[in-house]
Amino acid sequence: MQDQASIVASLNSTWFASGLEPETQTRLAELARTYHAEPGQELFREGDPSDLFGVVIRGRIALRTLVPERGEITILTIEPGDVFGWSTVVPPYRSTSTAVAIEPTEAIVFEAAGIRAALRTDCQLAVALYPRIMLAVSRRLNATRHQLLDLFAAEEMRSW
Amino acid sequence: MTHGRVAARPRVGVVKFASCDGCQLTILDLEDELLSIVEHFDIIDFPEATSARSAGPYDVLFVEGSVSEPAHLDRIVELRRRSRYLVTIGACATAGGIQALRNWGDHDAFRASVYAQPEFIHSLATSTPIAEHVPVDAELRGCPIDPAQLVELLTALSTGRRPQLRDEAVCMECKRRGVVCVMVSRGIPCLGQVTQTGCGAICPRFGRGCYGCFGPRERANAAGLSRHLQAAGDRPREEVGRLFAGFTAYAEPFRTMVTELGGTRQARATGAVEVAPTGGGNARQ
Amino acid sequence: MVMVSPARGPRARPEGPAFLARADLQVLLDLLREDGRTLIGPTLDGGAIVYDEITVVEDLPRGWGDEQAPGRYRVHDRGDERLFGYVVGPTSWKKWTFPSLVPLTRSSRDGHRVSFEPVPLDPPRLAFLGVRACELAALGVQDRVLTAGPFVDPDYAARRANVLIVAVQCTTAAATCFCTSMGTGPEVESGHDLALTELDDGFLVDAGSPAGRAIVERLPIRPATAVEQYGAAATVAAVRAAIGDPVPAAGLHDRLLAQLDSPRWLEIAERCILCGNCTLACPTCFCTSTTQATDLAGTTAVMSRIWDSCFSPGFAKVAGGSFRSRHRDRYRQWLTHKFATWWDQFGESGCTGCGRCITWCPVGIDVREELNAIAPARPPAAEITLVEPAAPSPTEFVTARVTATKAETADTMTLSLEPDHPALSRGGPGQFAMVELPGFPPLPISISRYLPGGLELTIRGAGAATRTLCKLQVKDEIGLRGPLGNSWPLDRAIGRDLVIVTGGIGLAPLRPLIDAIIAERRRYGDVRLYYGARTPADLLYRGELERWKSGNVEVALTVDRAGPEWLGPVGVVTNLFDQATWDGSGMVAFVCGPERMMQATVSTLAGRRLPASRIYVTLERHMECGIGLCGHCQMGKYFICRDGPVFSLAQLGDIFGREGL
Repeated sequence: MQDQASIVASLNSTWFASGLEPETQTRLAELARTYHAEPGQELFREGDPSDLFGVVIRGRIALRTLVPERGEITILTIEPGDVFGWSTVVPPYRSTSTAVAIEPTEAIVFEAAGIRAALRTDCQLAVALYPRIMLAVSRRLNATRHQLLDLFAAEEMRSW
Repeated sequence: MTHGRVAARPRVGVVKFASCDGCQLTILDLEDELLSIVEHFDIIDFPEATSARSAGPYDVLFVEGSVSEPAHLDRIVELRRRSRYLVTIGACATAGGIQALRNWGDHDAFRASVYAQPEFIHSLATSTPIAEHVPVDAELRGCPIDPAQLVELLTALSTGRRPQLRDEAVCMECKRRGVVCVMVSRGIPCLGQVTQTGCGAICPRFGRGCYGCFGPRERANAAGLSRHLQAAGDRPREEVGRLFAGFTAYAEPFRTMVTELGGTRQARATGAVEVAPTGGGNARQ
Repeated sequence: MVMVSPARGPRARPEGPAFLARADLQVLLDLLREDGRTLIGPTLDGGAIVYDEITVVEDLPRGWGDEQAPGRYRVHDRGDERLFGYVVGPTSWKKWTFPSLVPLTRSSRDGHRVSFEPVPLDPPRLAFLGVRACELAALGVQDRVLTAGPFVDPDYAARRANVLIVAVQCTTAAATCFCTSMGTGPEVESGHDLALTELDDGFLVDAGSPAGRAIVERLPIRPATAVEQYGAAATVAAVRAAIGDPVPAAGLHDRLLAQLDSPRWLEIAERCILCGNCTLACPTCFCTSTTQATDLAGTTAVMSRIWDSCFSPGFAKVAGGSFRSRHRDRYRQWLTHKFATWWDQFGESGCTGCGRCITWCPVGIDVREELNAIAPARPPAAEITLVEPAAPSPTEFVTARVTATKAETADTMTLSLEPDHPALSRGGPGQFAMVELPGFPPLPISISRYLPGGLELTIRGAGAATRTLCKLQVKDEIGLRGPLGNSWPLDRAIGRDLVIVTGGIGLAPLRPLIDAIIAERRRYGDVRLYYGARTPADLLYRGELERWKSGNVEVALTVDRAGPEWLGPVGVVTNLFDQATWDGSGMVAFVCGPERMMQATVSTLAGRRLPASRIYVTLERHMECGIGLCGHCQMGKYFICRDGPVFSLAQLGDIFGREGL
């Protein structure tokens, strides 16, 4: 069985899950399990139903998307402390990109059914978690906006 | 070798659409520079100057004239395909020319009243600038173009730098040369403030107001100028609108001024939109 | 100073003001034209009283007066014999001291070699007759801007030294004058060689300098009577009373700068045509640009200086766009510079109240009205650490030879250069050089490394000129002026932990900083470099990044996007440290990149508790001269080229990231 204490300790080492109330931490630990991925291992695929929501403890996961004519492009990497698979808790519950571990990765993950049910029924858990999910998503959105501005791009090549 | 610089002796063509040929003539008027130009550029097609003909491909193609008849539509696309740099020259090519005044009118009625057999006259309802049909790499404005600007463009091509075609008001040139402003000192309406410089401020130098033949410059506040001309000079809207209905009438924002203020008889007939004057502009001229 | 050889024997000098009869004025004009001087004075020409070359009293506008209002100027017949019965016209004296077109440098290019030669200074000897008090003040203002700073405009200084000034007291005022509010008139007080006050029968004459006194001694003067003196004083007092005090000048600096968001700017933008007339009519405006004239082959070029204006569209343009594209921002720039930030830069107001901008604005915008509407009823000097640059004036260039080239990325090249002058290899990290190829506009490029006897420039081919530079080969030559600007204040970082955040080409001006840190690594604490680029292929200095890691610099890289072979982080550079565990409160940060990236970085660093006084950024603006004389690179009160390009966030305050400043 998973050692709950060590799961709580791992969660506490991440910005996403540190500083939660002890009851909340225990509740989360009950829903969680540790997860290991080897380099090259795919965690989920773009478009598939999303059933894994997790926090990276160690390693790195690349989020990739397929661009016809250009191939698979890495658009973001998930570093230790970041969450992945937030589509698991947000409708329509489909993955928005493909996730591939590119380093030996250890994560704490929550199965879809369990975490969705808990967020629906356990108000304390919901109150504690949703703001942090929002922060993770907004951080991602901000980053995406900057990438969109393509600030390092050369000026549109006009003749003069 | 510099980037932007074309091949050792660039292949240059000069073609004409609907125009008076004045801009082409300006090229030939560069008497002192012609020999040097011909040494640096290979003029492969220029009907007004040489009987040599070529269908391209061109390193630089100068296009004079506006798109005014059906055959022009395909011809300009084909010429664009064959040109590395396409440079429009003159008010017709850059703004549609004086002939663009027909864009506000009833083209068929004109045709029928002038020609006994109008069915033989193939013309489009509008006269439009080249840039409305194909991408253009550079523009030489003016009616006709300014020879010094042409030489600057050719020099930029052969040295690889950006051509120094300043997008500022004619006023800057008047002030640099010490020309006394005709609007302030004589109350003569002058479009110089909203017109792109390049002519060396010719008209104000001779005591007349600029009529905008180089076309509107970047962000020209033509609306602000028309409000001032109406208020300060106590002029009716149509008179102010007519000031913009000249060689570059069809270029924005002159076009909007003509339409809204009723600069052409047709625009007046269709009913111009009220342009409410704002406060400010205390001068009484 | 005028060397006047006495034409007659010494004469008894009268005490107090002297009087010159009207009939004798030609004597004065003749004296002014001695020693090869050309006399410039007022004359009627095509409906306006302009300054032009004159020789005889008949050239002066006898019996003419002027009537001025916003956007309106008319001359009229006064019905008397007065020669100076008007005020200022469309020309200002800057037409001669700061002409609209001045050739600066002749250059040529022959194969690899380049050569630069300043156009020899040959200022004409001039005498100005009819200079008003506001114009005297304006000459003083331009003297301050162009000759009293760390860099001197050699052409202006030479012309100015060759001018003899005969001032004329205003005996009438126009409806557009406001010298009283600006403290510059109507009384002529100083700066003149001679001053005249016109009365019905003649002129009160006053000498203001040894040269002026030498001329007075040769005039057929007599002592002025008490009635004449009283009459002159009363006239000037009447002028003062007629003007009143239209502009609330006391405290205007602070009030105006507090109104950067006033809705009035937008209202003005509806009327202002951005034609630039006000700036070119103004006697103190000094912004210029360079223009290149070349032959068709591009082998010889002349670079000239022309009047430009902060209203022109390209004035604040850099490769990524214009820093001041909105209408309202340009008018705001002019007004706030003239009446507020000029104080910070030069210790006085930029406006002398002559009213030309009011009269010669074709749509009649009146600055007095605007100032009263926007700021009805002052900053620490910028810190400049200067290296004595090679070729400090815009007319002199030092040649440098390309000794090696390295393609860093597909569009970026590093040139190793050996200059003919040692100063260029002895600058500080963060300084830049003005780089010049004959026929091309001068470009500011950061120095990306100092070598013994040389330097490196890393250049991104973003436009015609930079692309040309990227194509240079070994043995090609270019022209340089520099090192210019200030440096990263590494001394503030001693003993502290450092964080360096950069993106794209921004690593280039930071590379000499990192070189300096590694050279004395023990003086600094933890050093962390966070560097982002568009794609892995766009990372600069890849070979050196490893070397830096072994120099005990922590290097974290990220890209905006990558293919599957990239195993590092992908995302924005702030993601690398926004959730880091370090506490920034004791750290120093150095940031360089596109301005939007710097803003995001700076706010993330503030979130990591770095204080604004220890976050340094480097700014980029359109530069033509690089030494604070052409006016283009201003941001608020700072000249980026001279007060920067490195600034602390505390210095910039809330003007950093502000639209249109």
